[in-house]
Amino acid sequence: MSLVAAKIPTRRAFAERMTQRGETDKEFVVFESDLAKSTYSFLFKDKHPERYFNMGIAEIGTVAAAAGMAAQGRNVVVCGYGVFITMRAVEAIRSFICYPHLNVKFLSSHGGLTAAIDGVTHQSTEDIAFMTTLPQMKVLVPADTTAATAAFDIALETPGPVFTRLMRDPMFDLYKPDEVFALGGSKIVRKGKDVTIATYGDMVFQSLVAADELAKRGIDAEVIDFYSLKPWDQATLHESLKKTRALVVAENHQKRNGFGYEAAVWTLLNCPVPTELIGLEDTFAESGAYQKTLEKFGLSGAAIAEKAAALVSCKI
Amino acid sequence: MEKNSGICGEAKDRYEKLPTDLPFDERVARLEEIACAMRKNVVDMVYAAQSGHIGGALSAADFVTALYFDLMDIKPEQPHWADRDRFVLSKGHACPIWYSALALRGFLPVEELKTLRKNGSRLQGHPIATYLPGIDASTGSLGIGYAQAVGIAMEGKFLAKSYKVYAVLGDGEINEGIIWEASLAAAKYKLDNLVAIVDMNNLQLDGTVGEVMPTEPVDAKFRAFGFDVLTMDGHDMADVLTTLSKAKHAHAGKPICVLAYTVKGKGVDFMEHQLDWHGKAPNAEQYEKACKYMEGAKA
Repeated sequence: MSLVAAKIPTRRAFAERMTQRGETDKEFVVFESDLAKSTYSFLFKDKHPERYFNMGIAEIGTVAAAAGMAAQGRNVVVCGYGVFITMRAVEAIRSFICYPHLNVKFLSSHGGLTAAIDGVTHQSTEDIAFMTTLPQMKVLVPADTTAATAAFDIALETPGPVFTRLMRDPMFDLYKPDEVFALGGSKIVRKGKDVTIATYGDMVFQSLVAADELAKRGIDAEVIDFYSLKPWDQATLHESLKKTRALVVAENHQKRNGFGYEAAVWTLLNCPVPTELIGLEDTFAESGAYQKTLEKFGLSGAAIAEKAAALVSCKI
Repeated sequence: MEKNSGICGEAKDRYEKLPTDLPFDERVARLEEIACAMRKNVVDMVYAAQSGHIGGALSAADFVTALYFDLMDIKPEQPHWADRDRFVLSKGHACPIWYSALALRGFLPVEELKTLRKNGSRLQGHPIATYLPGIDASTGSLGIGYAQAVGIAMEGKFLAKSYKVYAVLGDGEINEGIIWEASLAAAKYKLDNLVAIVDMNNLQLDGTVGEVMPTEPVDAKFRAFGFDVLTMDGHDMADVLTTLSKAKHAHAGKPICVLAYTVKGKGVDFMEHQLDWHGKAPNAEQYEKACKYMEGAKA
């Protein structure tokens, strides 16, 4: 499968849609914590300065003030980096946004190792664990810019808190502009019958590379993009597993408490099949180029293909 | 007997907001009377629950009374009225005094106060907005209520509403970094609709404020963060009323901080200034003793 390189990263696509929606939807405001040039929330500021609040380098204060505004009935989009939003401000998100089910949406940039070059302090590799664990929180991870545009619309239109994990670097174009996305949905991006690769975000592309590699070895892999991680599309996974009887979950996140743990437990309880998980092995990564770092930590397409092939060989 | 404790009448189940044309001295006297009933409720609630934070609830009794029965524009029959003044108890553990104010103003039956901290009660251990009408922000994690109050004040400015946001903070609570993050934002957005009242009772869980984390000079700190700072004797109702009225009518383009100098456990002699009564419930004997003292205060 040949993919076209994306011109912009998902963080920018999300912010562009936010700015565009701001033209017609005057009811939401945007909070930033001094990362406007990086989250691209400055695009919104330039068009709608009266609805934009830069709260400084102060994540928990930003999130709590957003909660105060949201509690008055306002829809608030909070922009920042995943590592700061989901860990420094997690308690404010839990008790004062999720618990009262407020309309606060998170533009969370620098998900996973796409911030590889910035080093571990900027790599958000536990965010999915934190956010999916919070009751009432919804979690989206668009793989490409089309999905990111749709993710903004879903976030704005879904009642309550919604967390959207976005990428620092441009990846590839995957979906047609008219592709339809929905909360709790998924996309089968490659059909296959021998093994299911369940994945999300940038790892969709590594999984497609893996599927090509597996095809050379005579293994027909199905790749599913779970762009909605919470709620997630159990029915589609179930259908796929009935056919393939083997599951690989690949994610740019700690293996522990990531989507792999979620999907593996669900599979164990509902349709046990041989399962393999790919993610960070209870370790921190390091600074480096994105693809090189994925390779070093076992998250590359080649690594996925190896594990999937081994799984398929023991299946029969 | 302390000045504000000697003139209480029979406690009632409901007190209306004082009429605005009442002479000042009479307002003070009526508020002192209500503050007595407020304190008695706190002791009853914490005794019934056998759990709760009595000391910091009692220290806040007088200014919370002044806000709820004189200064704040609220409609108990319409708790979500858009133009209401907002109240955020950022030191959420002091909620018995707030629940008492809400009950005496008619947001909930006084009888319900006894359900504090019990399963199924709307009176959670720390105040939760979705449980009880009249609560504008859930609190209980120190510092976060105050930052929410800043957000509420931002929304008020955004909508050009004239409501005020009163946030009550503990003097221990201002150890939290978020207080200063939110204060920077309050000054940036010129939130003169925000009144931060710091309950300066000088005791936090592990000791005096000076021992645990010296924060003085608090007035200079808030001033340096762009606030107008007022101070008052938090148990002199005349001073409380005068100072909070000044805060209510201030429109100087700056947020306002009121330092309320108070006594932890105020109103029950053996609890006053006692660290031990931060988060302890009285046993039967202590409850009797407290009631007797408070009855005496009424005589």
